[in-house]
Amino acid sequence: MQGPTGMESSDAALVARVLHGEVNAYSALVSRYRDKYARYAVHMLGNREDAEEALQDAFTRAYRSLARCEDPERFGAWLFRILVNRCRTSGARRVRRGQTFVHDETALLNASEEHPAEQTMWREEIERALGELSADQREAFLLKYVEELGYDEMAEITGVGVSALKMRVMRACDRLRVLLREVHSA
Amino acid sequence: MPDWGRNTLELMVQELQHPVRLDDSFNRRVMVRVRRIYAERRHRSIIGWLGAAASISRRPAWAAALAAGVVAVVSVSLLHGPNKPSLPAGQTIPVQFVLVAPEARTVAVVGDFNNWGLGDTALVAVNHNGVWSVSAPVHTGVHRYAFLVNGKQWVADPTAPRAADDDFGQPSSALVVEASTQ
Repeated sequence: MQGPTGMESSDAALVARVLHGEVNAYSALVSRYRDKYARYAVHMLGNREDAEEALQDAFTRAYRSLARCEDPERFGAWLFRILVNRCRTSGARRVRRGQTFVHDETALLNASEEHPAEQTMWREEIERALGELSADQREAFLLKYVEELGYDEMAEITGVGVSALKMRVMRACDRLRVLLREVHSA
Repeated sequence: MPDWGRNTLELMVQELQHPVRLDDSFNRRVMVRVRRIYAERRHRSIIGWLGAAASISRRPAWAAALAAGVVAVVSVSLLHGPNKPSLPAGQTIPVQFVLVAPEARTVAVVGDFNNWGLGDTALVAVNHNGVWSVSAPVHTGVHRYAFLVNGKQWVADPTAPRAADDDFGQPSSALVVEASTQ
């Protein structure tokens, strides 16, 4: 969203406008973060439908409590923390429903067109391996390597200690190596 | 770590870092929800099941919490009754917030009715031998609030229902303010 000077509005400026009753300004925040955070939700939950629902829920909850965002300049980080919690809740609900982890059909369709068949197979292997991890390990792996967060940031977002997070990431990597090697050996 | 394993993980991460695109219909769905919340707040016309919950009749919980050392009592005047009145838009009712916290240096009340204390809007309580109190007019409707102790410790009211949205790292309580029938 462009401000009066043509510069893109900061998160803090957009948050201030929303808090002053300019509700449509919130759409700019949605546009700014939807794709970035959709990636995490899709990989965490394993399908696009659940991911979009979790992301919608996160945006709605963030709006509802926007006045409680202590550092509006870091709205994105605050929103991400909410999303991580929503993904945990959604994942737990899916487990209770007995659903299995399924790959993201849309992501597969969007895979590289250079070698579509091989690319699709590789993508399926990755999604299947990711789905074999425990939710805790998958969360830690995605935050560390895909979202490229530092351990301190991860601890702040998840509420889990740095040592435990390092252990989860290490075990996730070990498990993924085994799973992907099995695929190549088969 | 074997090279094969490291390379495979690197390739995997590269693949997972490809963006996931959502279209503008996602914005529209979010904004429908957001505008609904906005409209609900503006009109303050919702009275839910919390109607009888935040009443002064919760004295036993007050006593139990007192024993724990940190006690809060919200005294909402003319709050409850078997026949709920209609809520004229914009009507305010005086509400007294009381927190017993002998060790506290400062106590304030923050809630959605004062924009959670943004812009120095927090209600600063006065200390009476460890009993902190402040009164303020609050619009009729459903509210969320908390006590802010020493400027940083967020304390929910132990005698009130906890608000549903507690996954933001800070607890808060629910309050219903109804118009008087008297």
